[in-house]
Amino acid sequence: MTHAISRKTYLFTFLGLLGLTLSTTLLGFVDMGPFNMIAAVGIAACKACLIAAFFMHALIEAKVIRVVLTGGVIWFLILISFTLSDYISRSW
Amino acid sequence: MANPIALLLREQYSTPVQQRETSKLGMWIFIMTEIMLFGGLFLAFSVYRMSFPQAFVKGSADMSIVLGSINTAVLICSSFTMALAVYSAETGNRRMLTVFLIATMILGLVFLGIKFTEYYQHYLQHEAPAVWFDHTGPDSGHLEMFFVLYFLMTGLHAVHMLVGEGILTAMVIRNHRGSFSADYYTPVEISGLYWHFVDIIWVFLFAIFYVEGLHLHKL
Amino acid sequence: MSTAVETRPALNYLNQETGIRSWLFTLDHKRIGLLYVASITFFFFIGSFYALLMRLSLLEPNGWLFGPGTYNKLFSMHGIIMVWFFLIPSIPTTLGNFFIPMMIGAKDVAFPKLNLLSWYIFMVGGLTTLFAMIHGGVDTGWTFYTPFSTSYSTTWVTTAALGIFIAGFGSILTGLNFIATIHRMRAPGMTWFRLPVFIWSQYATSIILVLATPVLAITLLMIGVERIFQVGIFDPALGGDPVLFQHMFWFYSHPAVYIMILPAMAVISEIIPTFSRKPLFGYEFVVYASMMIAALGFLVWGHHMFVAGQSLYSALTFSFLSYLVAVPSAIKVFNWSATMYKGSVSWDTPMLYAIGFIGLFTVGGMTGLFLAAMGIDVHVTDTYFVVAHFHYIMVGGAVMGYLGGVHYFWPKITGKMYPEGLAKLSALIVFLGFNLTFFPQFILGYMGMPRRYAAYAPEFHTLNVMSTAGASILGIGYLLPLAYFIWAWKYGADAGPNPWRATGLEWQTSSPPPRDNFEETPVVTRPAYDFGGMKEELHLG
Repeated sequence: MTHAISRKTYLFTFLGLLGLTLSTTLLGFVDMGPFNMIAAVGIAACKACLIAAFFMHALIEAKVIRVVLTGGVIWFLILISFTLSDYISRSW
Repeated sequence: MANPIALLLREQYSTPVQQRETSKLGMWIFIMTEIMLFGGLFLAFSVYRMSFPQAFVKGSADMSIVLGSINTAVLICSSFTMALAVYSAETGNRRMLTVFLIATMILGLVFLGIKFTEYYQHYLQHEAPAVWFDHTGPDSGHLEMFFVLYFLMTGLHAVHMLVGEGILTAMVIRNHRGSFSADYYTPVEISGLYWHFVDIIWVFLFAIFYVEGLHLHKL
Repeated sequence: MSTAVETRPALNYLNQETGIRSWLFTLDHKRIGLLYVASITFFFFIGSFYALLMRLSLLEPNGWLFGPGTYNKLFSMHGIIMVWFFLIPSIPTTLGNFFIPMMIGAKDVAFPKLNLLSWYIFMVGGLTTLFAMIHGGVDTGWTFYTPFSTSYSTTWVTTAALGIFIAGFGSILTGLNFIATIHRMRAPGMTWFRLPVFIWSQYATSIILVLATPVLAITLLMIGVERIFQVGIFDPALGGDPVLFQHMFWFYSHPAVYIMILPAMAVISEIIPTFSRKPLFGYEFVVYASMMIAALGFLVWGHHMFVAGQSLYSALTFSFLSYLVAVPSAIKVFNWSATMYKGSVSWDTPMLYAIGFIGLFTVGGMTGLFLAAMGIDVHVTDTYFVVAHFHYIMVGGAVMGYLGGVHYFWPKITGKMYPEGLAKLSALIVFLGFNLTFFPQFILGYMGMPRRYAAYAPEFHTLNVMSTAGASILGIGYLLPLAYFIWAWKYGADAGPNPWRATGLEWQTSSPPPRDNFEETPVVTRPAYDFGGMKEELHLG
């Protein structure tokens, strides 16, 4: 039986995740105002993509599974963006 | 054994491939619902973070970055061992499957241990809403909100970790009984999906709670 | 195709196993469907009982039966029971459970154990909520608005919310099961665009169930945490925002309306072609309309909050998007009408309900447009106009669809016919009673009678008496089917496999179906609603 994802890939993913964690922590020591949060969440999103793509095999799964995953993310973004747009645009 | 694959095929399916693909799809849909479940909490966090930036940065400065970073690393290690567990199942290596499953569980328990240590520290610093919250100042209400969300979100995550420990225990037992082989290891695979997903949630929790106040940190 | 069985088969899913344990531990999707029928019928009559008490009290302007406190509990419990324990599960868990596998030619759903688990979760949730109601009730309304529900109400809010929280996971698992089933369990040849529209609508419903219900669950969890631990998430004292609760609540509860109406549309889309002897007009448009309703349904929740203090720009966006939902809804109404046009229409009971559905749904939908317009909405918010509007959708739409579906599928489920004359009469009673109950409420609302009050100004008296009279008639219209269905279960005439000469796979097997639905896995070669092809086959046979 062949394996779509090799142990080497898992290892590189793992090291990448550790590296990104370290960069999150280090970046936190720099005061960037609101960009601290943006950077942290951005890095977290990268880490999530790595985990989903390689550890969870999302890249090589059937198309419908990628649709389910993107659907979930998009619906979460709908929830958050529509609600936040209310808070941002209030004049009171 | 006569025909192990036929025995493991439940009657509503026609082929093992159909059964495996259906189980995986089911798990992914479940993960989608989990995204929305945690999504509500992330929404609440975003709204209040936007409304009270100062209090939330202050709250974030009270987090233990050392423990938080170590915990993130521990959880990433557990995801790595989980991926290797699935790999072992795929290759039919039952011994290594048990080893990696147990390693994953131990790392998970280490994570929970560190998490509860942090909870205890917050309790000692009077930062446990509803139990012992004692802060004064103009921002104290908003600071309490930060900690309410912190305990709620990490607490819900910890509950998911506990469920994951239970699932992995079941996998170890089933593997011990010889349920899995290179032809049939779907339960291990979908347990892995769950574990990785819970890991992803933590990655975001770490990012929103621990990092922002770091530059104010005493260390 | 194998020759259809003409008479009632000796061995079928109903008598293959017997005894109470064979029902409580069944993994058969058909039996689980029937378990749900029994459960939601039970909840429906409890919810109706509360409604009846309210209408009785409103016979007099002073609310002669109940004081404000009791009245608050009555409408809360009516709403909670009807929404979560009748309407949300109504069609998907009963007819959906029974017919999704049959229509796609499968032996069962993808995860039968999960399916049974869903029913147990639903029952635990339902009984928890019922427990809260018997012990003292809830007075927050079904919407649980904060800060009243978190900081002020002294009633059994936490327990009731816990019940709904639990039942929500039953919904989620049902939706998950259906999506996996429709994706992976279709018979050979059953391509996506050969699926009956029933399946498509249930599919759209399931998507809403899995995407929206978790948000409700977390919202209720937050209410529970806030009440139990006395901390504030929505509490203004800590800077919490009650409007955030409304955002989260309506993110679920507006799509929830489509959870109720899409399955009813599913049923109507089966009934109308069968009794018009014509393929559904514009099949693909109806399919895309279902998916569009499911997707757009998530983008309009803010129209419940026009007066709640959301920003003007948000309100405008939500108002505009709400109009858009009218487009796919109208596509469906037009296509059903076009299906009947020049068809050979027969007026059997299911068709009466279907036509009633189209009319009442159109009224409900059109008044929905009034409410999506901010200017009118501000005027009629929290009046009986809103009450009438959503009852036209939920009762006139979803309940009519459910009743139509139960009549349509009854011969397949039980293998027996119901008494046609009596059924037609009760369909008529339901239609008349419904309109008499709720049409006056449009006028009342427009005149300014607020909802959720135990008493009202004397000038609203006449219309309220009319409404109560209608409710009594409606009650008879609901009790009649209950009686004759119980009768028909035992004494009805044998229906045969396909009494309506319908085209779906579910009609190609015996009535009641065997445990595995089909003697052999069917192979599909034709599109849905292929009455021409069917005629050919009958001719040849």
